[in-house]
Amino acid sequence: MMVKIGIMGLTGCSGCQCEILNCQDALEKILKRVQISYFPLAQDNNEFEAFDVLFVEGSVSTSLDLEKVKKGREKSKLLVAVGTCACYGGVQSQRNDEATLEEMVRAVYGSDRLPVEVFKPKAVSQVVKVDYELPGCPMDKRQFVYTVASLLAGVKPFFPKIPVCHECKLSETECLTLKGIPCQGPVSFAGCGAPCTSAGVGCQGCRGNCDFPNFPQMVQLLKERGLSEEDAYKFLKVFRGYTFSRKEMGSLEDEKRA
Amino acid sequence: MKRELNVDHLTRVEGHGAVDIVLENDRLKEIKLRFTEGPRFFEFITRERRFNEIPKIVSRICGICYVSHRLASATAVEDAFRASPTEEASLLRKLLIVGEYLESHALHLYFLALPDYLGYPSAVAMAKEYPNVVKRGFRIKEVGNKIMKLIGGKTVHGENILPGGFASVPTREQLEEVSRWLNELLNDLEATLYLFDSLDYFELESPVELEMTLSDPIPTEMVSNLSLSDGTCFTKFEFEHFVQEEPSPYSTAKRSTVSGKPFRIGPLARVNRALDSFSDPVKDALKRLKISFPSRNPLHANLARAVEMLELAYRGMQLVEELLKRYPLKGSFELSVKEGTGFGVKEAPRGTLYHRYHFDSEGYCKGANIITPTAQLQACIEEDLKALVDAYSYLPDGELKKRAEMLIRAYDP
Repeated sequence: MMVKIGIMGLTGCSGCQCEILNCQDALEKILKRVQISYFPLAQDNNEFEAFDVLFVEGSVSTSLDLEKVKKGREKSKLLVAVGTCACYGGVQSQRNDEATLEEMVRAVYGSDRLPVEVFKPKAVSQVVKVDYELPGCPMDKRQFVYTVASLLAGVKPFFPKIPVCHECKLSETECLTLKGIPCQGPVSFAGCGAPCTSAGVGCQGCRGNCDFPNFPQMVQLLKERGLSEEDAYKFLKVFRGYTFSRKEMGSLEDEKRA
Repeated sequence: MKRELNVDHLTRVEGHGAVDIVLENDRLKEIKLRFTEGPRFFEFITRERRFNEIPKIVSRICGICYVSHRLASATAVEDAFRASPTEEASLLRKLLIVGEYLESHALHLYFLALPDYLGYPSAVAMAKEYPNVVKRGFRIKEVGNKIMKLIGGKTVHGENILPGGFASVPTREQLEEVSRWLNELLNDLEATLYLFDSLDYFELESPVELEMTLSDPIPTEMVSNLSLSDGTCFTKFEFEHFVQEEPSPYSTAKRSTVSGKPFRIGPLARVNRALDSFSDPVKDALKRLKISFPSRNPLHANLARAVEMLELAYRGMQLVEELLKRYPLKGSFELSVKEGTGFGVKEAPRGTLYHRYHFDSEGYCKGANIITPTAQLQACIEEDLKALVDAYSYLPDGELKKRAEMLIRAYDP
């Protein structure tokens, strides 16, 4: 029997779904054992019936998103959040703690009336149970292939939450922090292959937190590389959504670790 | 007799959309194109952020045309600080745009649009009988992706595209390879052109006469002026004066008009207005086509995409030659922070894109406005849908709905 998978988009940029379409060779192989029964971005013949695995992209930002993801959860044995919007809330949630929803809506639309019911962007795991998370902006397509292949083989996919620094060591990329460039590698979840640092750009933290991130020390390092304290927090906040809280991260003095 | 046609979830489009059509006695009564995309608050989340964070944030507006958002915002930042890119940085940006267009247009043509014309629900279903056609689509996309990865750092949301240029640049050998990829792709791109010329597009004359493009409609040329098909020219600073935006009561995309009139942007508008600017081989290829430009059939936007891909592949090879003459390349240039407002316009794959930011003297963003192609096109697509319903109201519901979907899809919203 073919394994049934669904690919659902909530509020996001479709970049992760496009990454799935970029898995050309792997897709050909996957499709020998898998039937994509729901993928509105790429097909008309969609069935919203029982899924073995449902991949969900995007944040939960509207009542439509909420309804869709709840129904999807009911119909699927496994639910996998793909991309940083689905895993943490995405860039759209980076100022959730700085303003009310009304202020956010008014700043963009000029009035607070919208044709759909809107709330502050949430991660999928804040509204339904999520079995696996593949963060990244966009998610890395190799992780998608690895997840599908593991699940087909009956093996739980495993994502070690080690820092991006580990990847730079493996690829022999010169340390940008040592070069004086602001880089979030020390506190960010590896698994991307560190393409940004190898292009000379500091890690932007798009995959969220590694295990035991030392934020107070990270802020200190960023300050030493020219950022003001406020800018360091803003820089760290962009992709971390609900998983980053300045209040709970402690400080260098109290030795508290997030 | 009242007929209601609703497509609740448009498929094979990047965004989330729905369309409601109401007919009474075979005449159109009401049409609503609703984008139900959740708001992402970009004009809000960019506020209080420093200038160098802006392109990274707005990149996330669109996973397919992120290069456009990054370049429009980087240009706006540079404009606010009164800096202009060096020749080398601008050549690299142009080459990056070649990659963006190959990926975006090939994705649209082969994976979103073509299944309609060959009678399949998806490219996957189509691949069983047309494996070589689908593989061709993948090959074109792949070259686009490789160019974006090489210059931008990643295939999607490449972080190396910054205000002030690029943190790192490709090596000479890597650039020579780009030229080879493009050269090897020419056959595929010509085949795409003839394939999309041979499709059976239904007849439709769009009632929307007004077209808008940058004053140079070739997508690699990031000029600062815009031009309308009625002869009006204006600068990017006047964009909000000419293009008026208002929130729609039924769509989360705002609705735009020029002097109260809907207008067309995007591949069809560009090709209609670029006929004299194309390279000689593209001009020759155009002469051999069954369909001729300028065209007012919105479905011909598909063929226009194929024309643009071929043109950009030729331009890409020239850009590589230009770049190779300038080695060693310096991709970055200095920016000095100033208080001010900056503007950026760019031909994104779906049409003109506009970004405006205001920065304080420390370089923090104090206000932003972003007008996307989809928002500008909402009114135009609705007008085209009205013309479609008027012309084909005799068709059964299923067929009429199908045509409405094909029409909307041709704009790739």
